[in-house]
Amino acid sequence: MDLMKIFKDSYHIMAKDLLSLRRNKMSMAALFIMPIAFLVMFGFIFPSGTTQTHMPVGVVNLDNGQGSTQFISQLNALNSNNSYLDLQNFTSTDAAKTQINQGKLYGTFIIPAGFSYNMSHGQSADVIMLADNSNPQIATQIEGVTTNTITMMNGKQAVYNVVNMSATTGQTVNPQAMVFPYTPNIETTIPGQNNYFNFLAPGLMIMIVMMTVMTGIPEAISKEKEIGTFDGMLSAPINQISIILGKTAALCVRGFGQCILILLLAVVFFGVTIQGSIILAFAMLLLGIFSFVGIGIVAVSMSEDQASGTMIVNLLMFPMMFLAGIFYPLQQMPWFMQDIAKVIPLTYAADAMRKIMLLNAGLGDVITQVLILIAFGVVTMAIAVPLFRRSMTR
Amino acid sequence: MTENAIEVNNLTKEFGDFKAVDDLSLEVKSGEIFGFLGPNGAGKSTTIRMLCTLAQPTSGSATVAGYDLVKDAAKVRENIGLVAEKMIMYDALTAAENLRFFGKLYRIPKDKLETRIDELLEMVNMQEWKDTQINKFSTGMKQRINVIRALLPEPEIIFMDEPTLGLDPQTTFSIREIIRDINKKGVTVILTTHAMVEAEALSDRVAIIDHGKIAALDTPENLKKMISDVNTTIFSVKITNLNTQLLEGIKSLENVTALSQQDDHTLKISATGENALNNIIDSIRAKGGNIFSITNSNESTLEDVFLALTGKEIRDHASEKAAPSSHGHGAKAQARVR
Repeated sequence: MDLMKIFKDSYHIMAKDLLSLRRNKMSMAALFIMPIAFLVMFGFIFPSGTTQTHMPVGVVNLDNGQGSTQFISQLNALNSNNSYLDLQNFTSTDAAKTQINQGKLYGTFIIPAGFSYNMSHGQSADVIMLADNSNPQIATQIEGVTTNTITMMNGKQAVYNVVNMSATTGQTVNPQAMVFPYTPNIETTIPGQNNYFNFLAPGLMIMIVMMTVMTGIPEAISKEKEIGTFDGMLSAPINQISIILGKTAALCVRGFGQCILILLLAVVFFGVTIQGSIILAFAMLLLGIFSFVGIGIVAVSMSEDQASGTMIVNLLMFPMMFLAGIFYPLQQMPWFMQDIAKVIPLTYAADAMRKIMLLNAGLGDVITQVLILIAFGVVTMAIAVPLFRRSMTR
Repeated sequence: MTENAIEVNNLTKEFGDFKAVDDLSLEVKSGEIFGFLGPNGAGKSTTIRMLCTLAQPTSGSATVAGYDLVKDAAKVRENIGLVAEKMIMYDALTAAENLRFFGKLYRIPKDKLETRIDELLEMVNMQEWKDTQINKFSTGMKQRINVIRALLPEPEIIFMDEPTLGLDPQTTFSIREIIRDINKKGVTVILTTHAMVEAEALSDRVAIIDHGKIAALDTPENLKKMISDVNTTIFSVKITNLNTQLLEGIKSLENVTALSQQDDHTLKISATGENALNNIIDSIRAKGGNIFSITNSNESTLEDVFLALTGKEIRDHASEKAAPSSHGHGAKAQARVR
């Protein structure tokens, strides 16, 4: 009976907060612009990791034999498939170097004299790649593309050689099995190409909810204290828990609205594929909120006014945002940062969200994270609720 | 209903070293309008906040509507209404939405709540504003909503903290009418004010409170009689070249028990003793003061009582803590009155 009253009062407080929000046009606009801005911003500012195409590269043929001509035509044929490079021919090394210095080329192939001779006399023939490493990232890419291309050409040449040898010796062989005894077949958990947004979207959802709830709690409670309406609620026969519940519920509705928006944008515009259960994902969001809302309430209870409450919350929130592995995988951080990440509830929430949404993980797969989040929530709430009650009747 | 709506026993509230309410004891009878009169920072609001369960007493106890303030806080809340100094309402919501929200917190059934809202809006002549957002209201209109909000659950006791502060005379008048109406319907009203006129006009009994203590408690009439009994004369002196030197000179006189400055030229002085008036005139003349007029106030007002009891100094919130001397004077005055 008493519990029903608590829930009913929470509902009334939530409804009142949401009605106030709906009347405030600026807040409503900000509510919807924020997730869009976050998704676009964080989706594009980080290097994507895919290889650049159409990199201008020179070709200098100092050999001019049959072997080098064949090499160049094979190089052109291969490149026309993937277009990593834009190849231009130069007659001398100096001409190509001048172009590099002027920034018009990223590097150049140099086929030294004697290339054809080496090839026709059973020797390995060198090809030089002169890469401009004044821009290390581009140089790395050029090096990678060169190595790959040459490897592929080696393979083709080897297959050709094996076929020739087997013909002369009268043996039947599978040249593919001779030259490439191992064939890597890369399959991914998420179909399609690697997509950073796949990684980002679930984390961003839990982060938006956290920001909305954590900044919203001091705003909602301190503001009412300051304008005086809090006394109206406290002098009414309601449980103080109803105020926390109602306020949090109103903020959850806001946060969930933003999450749905992120989800739609991510799927429609950024090619994110959702494999798991959306319901479980939202349940996870709720659990995430439960795990960190206590921190917000502690901040409110300890601060005198809205400004200091918001400041304390921001102080706690920013490290949580960047250390919880929302934007970068945790594994790429140094060990001490990883240790810090381990005490942040958001880390577990983001991790579990990702597993549920992208890998179709069930509750059983993320039970560790769930238990840790519940523990976080119980401990912080156990501290927060008495503090809050005390701060109400100071 | 118990005979006493409120019983307060040795109630004390400390904020750090500062005693906002100091060992307060009093009784409020059911059905009366009880006024707390005192300067800013005297402890009126803190007392009200404690009686509304919004602040925990440091020590002492009180029953409100027959329930213990601390042990039965929930029961107390069911029986009281609060008109706080900061208006309790949400700007973005309409009058009806505000009233509905709080009505629901008091578990008023839906149909009854709607009738009650209409009834109350009618009482304060605000029916036509029912569905208008509060942010379009004037201060006076807001205060009317603020008052009827407290009446929603039909409380036995209603607390009003400075209900007419910052209102124009017309609205002040109408709010006072409303307060009388509420009281006629049997609701006990506890109000705080620093306006003497208000306490005098509304209250059945007044507690003059200063430094968290009661300086005097009685009906306005009896309070006024007190100072006439002790042979105090009160007069206004208009001095064209009034300055601080003159002020200090008058204050230091034996005969002068209280002094307040009314405007740039006028002083209100309470004095006792045979030669009071002569001494005051001599003091002013000796310091080069130019007396324009002297008027004798035959009938003392509550303001005079207040002056006589709380001392000479006109204090405001800022100088509150650093005024031990006037406190001593207040205690002396209290002793004399008794």
